[in-house]
Amino acid sequence: MAQSPGAPLPHRSVANIRSTPGGAGHHHQTGGPSTPLRPIPSNFGSPSGLRADDEIIIVEFGTRKLQVGFSGDPAPRGCVWFNPDQQRRVGDFRKWQRTDHQDQEWKSAAAWGLWGRDHELWQADVRAVDLGLVGDKIERTLREAFTKYMLIDSRPRRMVCVLPSGLPIPHLSAALDTIFSRFQPPTISLLSSPLAVAVGAGVRSALVVDLGWSETVVTSVYEYREVGSRRSVRGGRMLVERTHDTLSKHLPEREKETGNDAADGPRQYFLSFEECNDIATRLVWCKPRTDPSAAAQPSSEGLPTVHEQDEAESQYPSAPRETGTIRIPLKSCQSPLTLELPFDALAEPCESAFFESQYLHSSFDDHELPLHLLVYRSLLQLPLDVRAICMSRIIFTGGCSSVLGLRKRIFDEVAHLVRERGWDPVHGVKVDQLRANPKLKRKGARQANDGPTGVSSSSFSQPGGSEGEDGVWHDAANTVPEVDPVEEQLKRGADKRPRVQGELRAIESLGAWSGASLATHLKAPAIAAVDREIWLQHGAAGASRASDVDHKTQRQSLGPGGLMRGSAAGSAWTLGIWGVN
Amino acid sequence: MAAFVPYTYFQCPCSDSSTLAQSSGSNSPSSAHPDPDDGGIDDDSDRAFDPRAPRSNYSLYPLEYLLYCEDCHQIRCPRCVAEEIVTYYCPNCLFEVPSSNLKSEGNRCTRSCFQCPICIGPLAVTSIETKPDPNLLAAPDSASHSGPYALTCSYCNWTSTEVGIKFEKPNSIHAQLAKLRNGGTSRLTAKERKERRKDPAYTSQRAAAGSERESSDWQEDLDLETQFANLKLFYQSQLADPNSADHGLSSLGDLGFSSPSSLSRIMSIYTGGSLHDKKAKSRVGAMREALESDEGLQLADLDESAAISRLRQEGYDGTASTEQLLEQPPNLGEEHLHGRARFTAELRPIPYLLRTKRSKRCPVCRHIISKPEAKMQTTRFRIRLVAGSYIPSIAIRPLSLSGAGGSFSSSSTTTVPGAPLEPLKPAHFLLTFKNPIFETVKVTLGTPARTPGRFASKVTVLCPVFEIGANTDVWDEALKDSSGSDRDGRRRRGKGDEGGGGGSGGGGLTNQIEVGKIWERGRNWVSIVVEVMPASLHLREDEGDLPLREEEDVLEIPMFVRVEWEADVGGDEVGSAAHGRDSKEAREKRELAYWCVLGLGKIRRS
Repeated sequence: MAQSPGAPLPHRSVANIRSTPGGAGHHHQTGGPSTPLRPIPSNFGSPSGLRADDEIIIVEFGTRKLQVGFSGDPAPRGCVWFNPDQQRRVGDFRKWQRTDHQDQEWKSAAAWGLWGRDHELWQADVRAVDLGLVGDKIERTLREAFTKYMLIDSRPRRMVCVLPSGLPIPHLSAALDTIFSRFQPPTISLLSSPLAVAVGAGVRSALVVDLGWSETVVTSVYEYREVGSRRSVRGGRMLVERTHDTLSKHLPEREKETGNDAADGPRQYFLSFEECNDIATRLVWCKPRTDPSAAAQPSSEGLPTVHEQDEAESQYPSAPRETGTIRIPLKSCQSPLTLELPFDALAEPCESAFFESQYLHSSFDDHELPLHLLVYRSLLQLPLDVRAICMSRIIFTGGCSSVLGLRKRIFDEVAHLVRERGWDPVHGVKVDQLRANPKLKRKGARQANDGPTGVSSSSFSQPGGSEGEDGVWHDAANTVPEVDPVEEQLKRGADKRPRVQGELRAIESLGAWSGASLATHLKAPAIAAVDREIWLQHGAAGASRASDVDHKTQRQSLGPGGLMRGSAAGSAWTLGIWGVN
Repeated sequence: MAAFVPYTYFQCPCSDSSTLAQSSGSNSPSSAHPDPDDGGIDDDSDRAFDPRAPRSNYSLYPLEYLLYCEDCHQIRCPRCVAEEIVTYYCPNCLFEVPSSNLKSEGNRCTRSCFQCPICIGPLAVTSIETKPDPNLLAAPDSASHSGPYALTCSYCNWTSTEVGIKFEKPNSIHAQLAKLRNGGTSRLTAKERKERRKDPAYTSQRAAAGSERESSDWQEDLDLETQFANLKLFYQSQLADPNSADHGLSSLGDLGFSSPSSLSRIMSIYTGGSLHDKKAKSRVGAMREALESDEGLQLADLDESAAISRLRQEGYDGTASTEQLLEQPPNLGEEHLHGRARFTAELRPIPYLLRTKRSKRCPVCRHIISKPEAKMQTTRFRIRLVAGSYIPSIAIRPLSLSGAGGSFSSSSTTTVPGAPLEPLKPAHFLLTFKNPIFETVKVTLGTPARTPGRFASKVTVLCPVFEIGANTDVWDEALKDSSGSDRDGRRRRGKGDEGGGGGSGGGGLTNQIEVGKIWERGRNWVSIVVEVMPASLHLREDEGDLPLREEEDVLEIPMFVRVEWEADVGGDEVGSAAHGRDSKEAREKRELAYWCVLGLGKIRRS
């Protein structure tokens, strides 16, 4: 333990040896020998080399907006949304001279399949996307953000990009190409947004439910590593489209007459995207979970919900529910009008975009699962202990999480599913019969216990939820493990407070940007760091596989250490989880 | 409908290679409507620039936006200059902000400059007590201005009392506002929070609250800034000394032993590889997660029924529009609103964003090409090398033909400026190139015979090669002309013009258009004629033609301009023309080539 002041150097070299590919202990990263795979603390290295001379810029990419700011700030300095006005030529001031004629311009764009698409940076479908255009958009938006909000000059600065973990390589490559060639940062570090969200919530493990624009992604993060991800196309875009449908349902008939009936486009739009988007953000809300008995009826869609949920009972006297009407002025239809529609109708888009509870669960494809089912299945596929941790750290993030009541609804639905099914991946009529049959039950339980899956209805969840199980189960879970003196000793240094696990719980995060700001400020190693020179030489093809390089780069442990370690040495570099695996 | 004004855009050569190289790929953007004429990818060599391609919107600039580097002899657009900041200032109070303040206090004015959250008009501080009486306006601010103050918008009459915000003092509004929540409740600063924590009364109250509810359930609601600060503190403490209580490692903190990496390394030395995988869990102890609100953990309050019922009551008008929300700065003083405020009552006055004065450098040679005066109040520039004084400008004017020429007896609809062009009827435009430099330049134009896009109009430049005279002193020409014969005739029709190499002037007195002839010529300008045959915008909707896109009815011509001239070798100043002409030193040929886009007019929709 006694260490001379000159000792850091040997340690550093040891760490360097370990970081080389094929170093000892890489194949079993959970084992003991790989324990020291942590970054070198900054005070081991030369301070001047690791300390950033200037501030680090953090850029969070979303499908519809870009957030930028300096690391260490609690919130981004600026947030720029992509919109068609921004994509005009420089010096085209058309957006300042609105005329009636231009209010109808959206119709031709909609006929080209652009309804709302020009508000997006990229689409997940890489086949149809012009990467040069994506680069141009990124450049212009970043430039605007830098000039208007950050007030910085064009000296090269290090950057951290916060990206969704499912970003396709072409997009990533286009973004990096643009930033490297136009803004000359010496390095760019990549950080995945679910991890950043978890850091921003102060937890090491979480189930991040990103209610995003083009899709909803549920990512399970365990010990700062992404261990699973599921997605559904039910996102903000669908919500806005459903809002349009709801509104156009209430439009008078004359508004729906269009001149070109022959147009065989996939959809017909009667209102502009901007207006529907505005209404979706302003007024659309989500009903609380209805009584199970009412929800069981397949035709619950049109019914006024008479049954109140317990929690919401005091908040909802039934009298205003009947009278509530909303008047919405609409401008983008053929003649401006004020639409009057019941308040409850504004919950329909949310209902149909995210839940569609009138359909059976089995009727959905994998890519369009309703959100509660998506969250439930994401939890279900996790290993037992990971699930226990993650289920009590559910974080809702993304644009649609600001839909009033949506988070609670998803949470309640998931809680209901857990109560109903437990953590049994098998469900259906026969399973219910099996459960109902007392004779079969014990046998079935034993089978599940011995089975190879081992993730059946285990009882680490709250005691109330496992009312059907017998004593054997509880004993298995509650057995006091043998006392291991070594482990005891190790645990002594650890925190003694129990971790909350096994109960459903939602926590707040500061968001991906702020999480990345924290992580960068604390000099945590980024998931991948790309050097400018190397990128310009090789591009995305030069990246090694994440598994070949170094587990350290994949680790998200929040230890101190250089943010750009590894790449500076000219060694193999990786795009982390975005790389080709 | 507003009359159409012809326009000219220039493409900066910096985007040339990338644009042409990348957009020529098969992944043409949003071309859900594949162009049959455009199928050949192989003819890259003479691919014309397509002004309609979505990418060209990013590389085209009006001439006024372009700069010019005299050393590299290149056009520099806003995308290819390096910028340096000269001054930061508030656009409202014109106060210059030192750059050190920027880091600590953010990018907004911290004095009393605010924008209205409803209409973004400027807000003024007014006393609430005194009614805004027009008779009293003349009276100086006397003792009557004593009561609480509010911010009011003189445009839409919004006042901050609507959101329950009043100020005690009329100055340093920004600091006061930071401590106020909407509705008037005050907000604790980080320091006050810390002091409160030490206060025994507060601790007991908190304990009581904790025991009242479930102990683990209790939490203090943190606003975003405090949560961030708490989290940061927590992480830092975790990283600094994970187990200072148990081991004596904290004393070695200066050597860096207390960091988790060295700790785990030491642990691995002691435990070796003997631990099973199960034990790996203990590593979690090296850094735990946040467990309470002091450490930044916030349990989500999912119950939003109050907001829903409020939404029901307030309706559409009570909510803020998307534009209003966009203008709102991130409100750090509030708890989680899931991103943003929703109701108009939650909007806050917007402090003005600071602005900058920037000087611009050429990224290649690092010479300054634009440098404004550092003082806020002056709008002058010390250095400004605008491209307009180096490359010929192009002015467009519809040419009226009086119908004398036999084949050009088109109806004179095109004579009215801004009137729509008749499809399938030839129209003529006069392009006037004006030479700003003190050398004679030779201009070569190139256009595709048919404009790219769905509706291909035919374009013919009648005189694609010509010379423009130098931009000499006006009096030089006047003196020269007075000694010459008829100045008027020469100016108007270029009659008897011998100077140009590209061809002598237009033919005589008739308004005849001749191929290869300059229409008109002046001291430093030349007019040429472009004949266009606008395409018909007829859509066959039964064949699945999509409707016209925005701006698709505008006839735009891509035109490749090549300018050649001779200048002194190494002469920084192209402007020193007299010197260059007198001394017959070695002269250097220079050329500049770039794409332009000429918007001629709108085609009449069928």
